Amino acid sequence: MDTRMTHNAAGLLDRIQPLSGDTFNAMVLKGSGPIAVEFMSYGCGYCRAVEPFLQQAAEKLDGKEQIFRVNIDAEPEISASFEVEGTPTFIMFLGGREMGRVEGIQPTLANVMGVVTQPFDIQY
Amino acid sequence: MTNPILPLLLFDGACAVCDRIGHWVQKAAHPRSGMATLEARAIGNDPTELRTLNPNLDIWDAYAIIHLLMPDGSMKTGGEAVAEVFRRLPATRWFAWCFAISLFGFKPFQQLLNLGYVILDDVRPIFGCDSCGTQRAWVKPIIRVVAWTKSLFGKSTTKAATPHFSQAANITPRPTSASMNKVG
Repeated sequence: MDTRMTHNAAGLLDRIQPLSGDTFNAMVLKGSGPIAVEFMSYGCGYCRAVEPFLQQAAEKLDGKEQIFRVNIDAEPEISASFEVEGTPTFIMFLGGREMGRVEGIQPTLANVMGVVTQPFDIQY
Repeated sequence: MTNPILPLLLFDGACAVCDRIGHWVQKAAHPRSGMATLEARAIGNDPTELRTLNPNLDIWDAYAIIHLLMPDGSMKTGGEAVAEVFRRLPATRWFAWCFAISLFGFKPFQQLLNLGYVILDDVRPIFGCDSCGTQRAWVKPIIRVVAWTKSLFGKSTTKAATPHFSQAANITPRPTSASMNKVG
């Protein structure tokens, strides 16, 4: 199961765990607590703009909510099964059920925090 | 498998324009007679694998601008990478010397090439790029005109692709009353 915490080239901890077809079920659909999944692609300029704020959001949430990423180019089956029509798309899950979905996002920390916590009423 | 003693050009394989250019470079760098001078491959989707090629290479950066990984561990990007590719290819090395010309520290041909790269990067969507990130404002009207012109002739502008949403959010909350849990 690939749930590695990796570092980017700048040596900073990558707090967003990538998911594959093998790990999606266990980490998201059978996962516990609030979960946000970003459907993205590395070639997407908007995803790139959101990325630093998503990292900050993950740090700020400090485990109260898990944030994962699914690369739609590498995992087309997952994005197709959730009818993801573009990137970035955020889908929030709780108990394996979809609780909310946001397509496109203004790249600010406040917006990202609002998007990933909006269905759960998380205090941070 | 890439040859570690050759420079490696990384291109965006999801972009139709980059993909065509990348494959042309790969072919041109492997003449039927003589040694290969360059390798070219798509960036791919594995950040960890990319860092094995060069520890300083971030996958987001690789998609944002063209990268040429040199055998000595250095990296050239943008117009500098293109100039180095021209120097390495048998078909283009005859004119690539001009990019090294320096007048009082200013490299006019290299600057022109840098500008050309930036413009090509901006106009990629016009040529059917599927993975061009954010479109520049000045290119959007041209894309619309091209799409309209092609539609007159019954042609699709691009192959089916997943769009990149603009920064305007489309929020579709799907909560159920029983599922609103308070956490934290």
